[in-house]
Amino acid sequence: MNGIATVAALEFRLRLRTGRWRWLLASWLIVLTVIAMLIRLSVRPTVGEEVVGYTGSFMFGGLMLVVLGLALLIAPALAAQSVNGDRERGTLAPLQITGLTSWDLAVGKLLASWGTAVVFLLVTAPLALWCLLEGGLSVGRVLIVYAVMALLIGVVCAVSLGLSAWMARTTTSSVLAYLAVFTLTAGTGVLFGILLAVTSDTVTEGTGEQSYTYNQSRPDRIWWILAPNPFIVLADAAPETPTTTIRLPDGTIIQARQDADLLGALSQAARQLRQPPSVFDVAEPAPEPGPVWPYGLGLQLVLAAGALLLTERRLRTPAGALPTGQRVA
Amino acid sequence: MVVFPVAYEAPHAGVRTRALHRSFGPVGAVQGMDLDAYPGQVTALVGPNGAGKTTLLLILATLLTPDAGWVRVAGFDPATAPGEVRSRMGWAPDVLGFYDALTVTEYLDVMAAAHRIPPAQRRQAVPAALDAARLIEQAGARVHTLSRGQKQRLSLARALIHGPSVLLLDEPAAGLDPRSRIELHDLLRRLAAEGRTVLVSSHALDDLEELADDVVFVDRGRTVASHRVDQLPAHLGPRAYRVRTLDAEALTRALDERGVSAITAGPSAVDVQVFGGEQNAARLLSELVGAGVPVTAFGPVGGSLEAAYLQLTDDQAVRR
Repeated sequence: MNGIATVAALEFRLRLRTGRWRWLLASWLIVLTVIAMLIRLSVRPTVGEEVVGYTGSFMFGGLMLVVLGLALLIAPALAAQSVNGDRERGTLAPLQITGLTSWDLAVGKLLASWGTAVVFLLVTAPLALWCLLEGGLSVGRVLIVYAVMALLIGVVCAVSLGLSAWMARTTTSSVLAYLAVFTLTAGTGVLFGILLAVTSDTVTEGTGEQSYTYNQSRPDRIWWILAPNPFIVLADAAPETPTTTIRLPDGTIIQARQDADLLGALSQAARQLRQPPSVFDVAEPAPEPGPVWPYGLGLQLVLAAGALLLTERRLRTPAGALPTGQRVA
Repeated sequence: MVVFPVAYEAPHAGVRTRALHRSFGPVGAVQGMDLDAYPGQVTALVGPNGAGKTTLLLILATLLTPDAGWVRVAGFDPATAPGEVRSRMGWAPDVLGFYDALTVTEYLDVMAAAHRIPPAQRRQAVPAALDAARLIEQAGARVHTLSRGQKQRLSLARALIHGPSVLLLDEPAAGLDPRSRIELHDLLRRLAAEGRTVLVSSHALDDLEELADDVVFVDRGRTVASHRVDQLPAHLGPRAYRVRTLDAEALTRALDERGVSAITAGPSAVDVQVFGGEQNAARLLSELVGAGVPVTAFGPVGGSLEAAYLQLTDDQAVRR
């Protein structure tokens, strides 16, 4: 534990000394504030309807997706040169021959890069508070979304760290780390789209000359491809929005669940994919499809654990076989 | 001067290797190295580039496992008991890598913490290492402002921070100006005098002659020879000496009378070949002086290490 703290504190101090953090964090907050304001301005309930307590949850959903997108761009930069960069500079080996274990180094480095990324998340707290004040948003939803986001960013940090321990060159590991993020986000979407066409059923209805044939897509077979997508994990893991009060044009007031915010919509869309095609039956409606996020987050955590194990293996000394192109010191 | 506590256990708790092997893929970097570096002595590891010096030091420094062979550092096997070795061994690598953003003191404090030295003891260990490496004046300076020589000393301070009994130094004199070299030698001699084992790799031969007690020659992954420096073959065998004089004619006459062949080496100097070691060189000098030749300088051409080294690599070249 002591060793992990030593490594994490060292890495954190080095990051603090070398970067222009104040400027970086300030511009990060300014950009996000502008985006939050734009989302706030875009809230236009249907003419005649008055939705009470909806603005906050709508703002929050949009904002969090933007924050996640930007954080996914920052996280690889924080960790993807952590091990091989130290190797190149000749600063790793002197640490390896001290009382520090390979686990101390691996976990300490992960905590430092993850911690830095979490600082970026925490800076956005005032914006979340603004969303809360706008109403329609529970504190629990905010906390859980932040927690899941922190986990997702931690996974990207762990994978980037693993790549930096695996690859001899810093440029290679950086490119691969961004490729990994790209695969998780855009890659899952593209793959899903392609496989949706490939796995569709050819259905023939009717008999004789009356019959007709069409392609029926079967997303319920491949929904899991989208599950590890960080945006879907974040959206689907967020607890349901509280019911909101809607005043209809004729003056009646109804209580309804508002899932029109981006997180809620994304979550619903992802869950709907799990629904097998069925004939609409009023008497016996199809059961609600289950959540998607446990699979996605589970896979991500397995990925992160694997990356951390790899990192530790590559930091172990005395080293046996070395990967080509890699020097111990 | 600060004296570090030395963990001195066995009669020979220095560095010992026998038939050590280590390859990188098809490249056999170390292919049978035998080495003994004794406590209280400075041992020089000498060989051309690519001879396997750095690989050997990496094995000793618990960073690489050997493929085969037997090795002990401070009485422990670096492959199976790296923790025991690490607490007793300091290593100054050939690459001078530090965290540029930290000050010298901060850096050494981090390294001491990494060695799990408690904070109270660190407050003494850091200044002690700074003092030993003559870095007191630079204590508050950022590492990136240090000169190359100062970085070499910081590397040494880093190796000393936990009071190791075995010091492994990979090219510690590389890039040092003459004055810094002399200071480095003084420091290493002092560390050896405190009972530590000091193993220094280098190809700066003349320097090592004044520094080292023992010398181990390595070439292409093998130990070629090991000697005590004062018993080097060059001290015993034939060797060229350069004689300077104020009267070249008198010198030539005196050498001719004694049948010593000489090659002119400049307007007032000749190189003579002396057989039979240093005894005969001393006799020749006293005879020349006795014959009234105004000798101003008399000394071997090139260091004895260099002579031995060239001789050994020559042998290798012939065998190749």
